[in-house]
Amino acid sequence: MRKDIYEKMEILADSAKYDVSCSSSGSDNNHKTGQIGATHKSGICHTFTADGRCVSLLKVLLTNYCIYDCAYCINRKSNEIQRAAFSPRELADITINFYKRNYIEGLFLSSGIIDNEDHTMNLLLRTLKILRNEYKFNGYIHVKLIPGSDERLIEQVVALANRVSSNIELPSDNSLKLLAPNKTKEMVLQPLKLARDISLEKDTKPIGMSTQLIVGATPESDKDILKLSSTLYDKALLKRVYYSAYIPVNDDKNLPSIINKPPLLREHRLYQADWLLRFYQFSWDEIVNDFTPNLDEDLDPKSFWALNNLQYFPMEINKASLDELIRIPGIGIRGAHKILRTRRYKSLDFEDLIKLKISLKRAKYFITCKGKYQKEIPFYQENIKTALIQPEKKIVQPSLFDIDYSAITGEI
Amino acid sequence: MILVYDGTFEGFLSLVYEVYYKKLSPSKIYKNNPTQLILEELIYIETIQENSMKVYKALQTKFDTKSFSLLVNIFMCDTKEFELSLLRYIIIGFKDTKQLYNINYEEVFYLQNLEKELFRLVHKMYGFIRFQELEDGTLYAKIETKYNVLYFLGKHFFKRLNNQNFIIHDINRKLAFVKNNLNCSIENIASYEKPTLSKDEEKFDKLWKHFFKSVAIQERENKRCQQNFVPLLYRTYMNEFN
Repeated sequence: MRKDIYEKMEILADSAKYDVSCSSSGSDNNHKTGQIGATHKSGICHTFTADGRCVSLLKVLLTNYCIYDCAYCINRKSNEIQRAAFSPRELADITINFYKRNYIEGLFLSSGIIDNEDHTMNLLLRTLKILRNEYKFNGYIHVKLIPGSDERLIEQVVALANRVSSNIELPSDNSLKLLAPNKTKEMVLQPLKLARDISLEKDTKPIGMSTQLIVGATPESDKDILKLSSTLYDKALLKRVYYSAYIPVNDDKNLPSIINKPPLLREHRLYQADWLLRFYQFSWDEIVNDFTPNLDEDLDPKSFWALNNLQYFPMEINKASLDELIRIPGIGIRGAHKILRTRRYKSLDFEDLIKLKISLKRAKYFITCKGKYQKEIPFYQENIKTALIQPEKKIVQPSLFDIDYSAITGEI
Repeated sequence: MILVYDGTFEGFLSLVYEVYYKKLSPSKIYKNNPTQLILEELIYIETIQENSMKVYKALQTKFDTKSFSLLVNIFMCDTKEFELSLLRYIIIGFKDTKQLYNINYEEVFYLQNLEKELFRLVHKMYGFIRFQELEDGTLYAKIETKYNVLYFLGKHFFKRLNNQNFIIHDINRKLAFVKNNLNCSIENIASYEKPTLSKDEEKFDKLWKHFFKSVAIQERENKRCQQNFVPLLYRTYMNEFN
């Protein structure tokens, strides 16, 4: 039975939604006269779905037919779900028309494996060529590389796309063997390495690449995950690692069976830790180690680190350097810069920080201003920890006027 | 002492001129004639082209590009009462331009934040504005915004819809940014008729709504989070929410 285009859209968007990558940032601003589309350095979110995630790119699969049988994936061969496919021309048309109406920032091009790897990659490439060459589309395109496809195809894709990626999904080879018997870590990383080498040959700046890890489907600890991310960042292989809380879509004997809710808090903590790795000059072994292989649920990773390294604190806000300032829980990169800019003119105290709209909720336990430390909580690990986890509730003194008006007039 | 000016940028520059040459120290500055009873002294500032130009040139030579563009940008925040702060900002700048970055001054900090707020709004609108295709292929968008962001939006979309013609219509301010081939202009719109849409419009509108619905993951539904990112205020013309 032929499906109409609306049905196809539903099926293929539904199949692609578990891929969390949706950023359109990181490309330089560019535009060309007589073309349609431009990229924006910071990326632009065009709307937000009911689950609160940003929609920046048209994220669909070209097709959800697949020859693989990965246990965690909704599109696995053995699943009985509705299948559909766009033709390259169809998808290119939708992209251009969505773009003109400012629904999207670009295209996220991915696909199930149909027939074989090279054939699939060819279909993706054809879509890419129609958009770039025929429709003169200059906007953002993210292409998912198909592991195991031909080098020459990957080379052509890299030349036309803004970002490419390949999902590792599971943080260790063992888990991959168990859940995705057709894949190995090497095989997943191969197109990424190749893409980096190709783009480095031509340009000094490698093409932006990302990957995704599923959290909570296999027994790896946060330590394993962060160590892997950190290595990938260090090798300049990736710009971004995404973490996706495992949502049970299939029944499989190798998957955890009783999960009521996806581990969203763990995912959140991992992202916080990931930010520390990428922007705050933390190394992974400062955040997790053999004694605490998993991130703390009650405290964010930075507060947790600070509590266990109280020898660096309290920090004098008027003397600490930028590198030191950004290690204070609750103070971010922007806050640190604000402090640096202001203290050139005067030395700061707590009131000044409040005026600068710097959040002191956590920071106040770790800083001194002109040598003064806040008075409520003594500087001991246990005391601060309790204060951080259970912020003191403000006791509101009932005022005369709080009394329900109707109680006085008697019209209850 | 209360000053009243005509609400234009030139008018404000004339006001700065008067403040300097007559040594005025206003406690409030109004755009329009105040309606309620005022017991303070009220002075109307006339817009004089010559005076405005003098101040304009002085500002241009004395202020660096960043501070100068702040002056103009703040003027786009037309629903805020920024005049008094802006006047003090100019006075600070004429004394010592270095102090224009000293955020210990209340005015400097306030204006910097207001400018940031403006840019945040502009950035949100980059994403949330929706075009519709008209019969002749022109793209047409309606907006209602807190501040006047038409110029920024026009500039942005001129780059990315370079081979298209488009109109961005600010309903409340009765202004429109019109791009026709490589010509751009901002025009006053006194009245308008409902335009006829192209025949493809319905199809892509429907397709987008289907996409939007199916891309959400039910297990993770979080409407509050969604509303934090897209407040109801912005949804008036976003088709996926209607």
